[in-house]
Amino acid sequence: MSTRRKIAFSILGVYILGMILIVAVFGATRNDNESFSPQNEFKLDPWLALPGPMDLNKGVLYLFIATALTLGLMLWISKKMVGRPNRVQTAVEWAYTGMRDKVVRDNMSDAMAKKWFPLVFTLFVFIWISNLIGYLPLPVNTEHKVSIFGTEVPAFQIYAATANVSVPLVLALIVFFAFNIEGVRAKGFWGYTKSLIPPGLKGPILIMIFPLELLSNFLRLISLTVRLFANILAGHMLIQFMSGGLAVLLGLEILAWFTLPAGVAIFIFEATLVAGLQAFIFAILTCIYLGSAVSESH
Amino acid sequence: MGVTTELIAAAAQDPAAYGEKAGRAIALGVGAGGGAAGAGAGIGMLFGKVIESVTRQPEMRDEIASIQWLGFALTEACFFYGLVGGLIAFFL
Repeated sequence: MSTRRKIAFSILGVYILGMILIVAVFGATRNDNESFSPQNEFKLDPWLALPGPMDLNKGVLYLFIATALTLGLMLWISKKMVGRPNRVQTAVEWAYTGMRDKVVRDNMSDAMAKKWFPLVFTLFVFIWISNLIGYLPLPVNTEHKVSIFGTEVPAFQIYAATANVSVPLVLALIVFFAFNIEGVRAKGFWGYTKSLIPPGLKGPILIMIFPLELLSNFLRLISLTVRLFANILAGHMLIQFMSGGLAVLLGLEILAWFTLPAGVAIFIFEATLVAGLQAFIFAILTCIYLGSAVSESH
Repeated sequence: MGVTTELIAAAAQDPAAYGEKAGRAIALGVGAGGGAAGAGAGIGMLFGKVIESVTRQPEMRDEIASIQWLGFALTEACFFYGLVGGLIAFFL
């Protein structure tokens, strides 16, 4: 028997043994847990009431951490630029030149690329970092506190600022106003409105087409927002349910043993692929919208 | 079978509450299931086409890869629209 097969059989044995052990200890009866509400993971408890709608809560904390990390990482890299780069500098330079040449310059003219590249790259890095710190457990769960030596400490929890609809909405609003204003500046108000219509259409069909095109212009705002928000929210919910939430909700211990491998797989998939991919999509769609707003044909 | 008859008996006792529960469960099932079906078909088609085009023109591989991930993310987002809609209906 080869070593690989031995390892596979021992993992399978441990899995089946754990299954039997859990059923033997806890039984396999279901008793629903009514008091556990998993949606509270995304509820924002105000920590510090400030005047107006500026309460401090965990979403704001995550935004501050993401901003500090974005600024700190980029300023640190740019201060320490050397001729023979280390690994971090190579990675950042690769992302920088990749975004500049493959994403921004492919979609707009050079003068415009020089003007809009800072926004696009900042959006990319900021969304990526705020997605990534969403997968680090931080002590922010003030709903369930843990007592350590008599002091109440918030429990560890994963939460992402981008899993709240308001953060992607603000980022998408910035992009929405940017490409509309840039289009109006390039073509004038009437020119820009006319350029929304696909070329070659004349006559009464415009009454049907024009509202649709205007609507699709506004739908870009919604699709930019919901794509980022729904991806991160659904990812966090799946991780939560698969790594134990479902078992707690149904009061069925054996279920956690079955769903835990799926939870680990989803966590790795989200943290490695989805976090970066969503940031990249947001950046590239920003470029496509900006480019199509100023280009002559629709 | 025992569980089913118990559920039917309980539902007959309190039809309104059980109707609401059933509606929420159906919303989650339709949202997640329908979203997964559509997005699955789309992603499968996307990767099939990518394989086809790369075997036809292997020198275009890098360009195709970047468009492929864009299409993948746009398609995959549709699954999450359905799932989030279902989750909102289920929990709120």
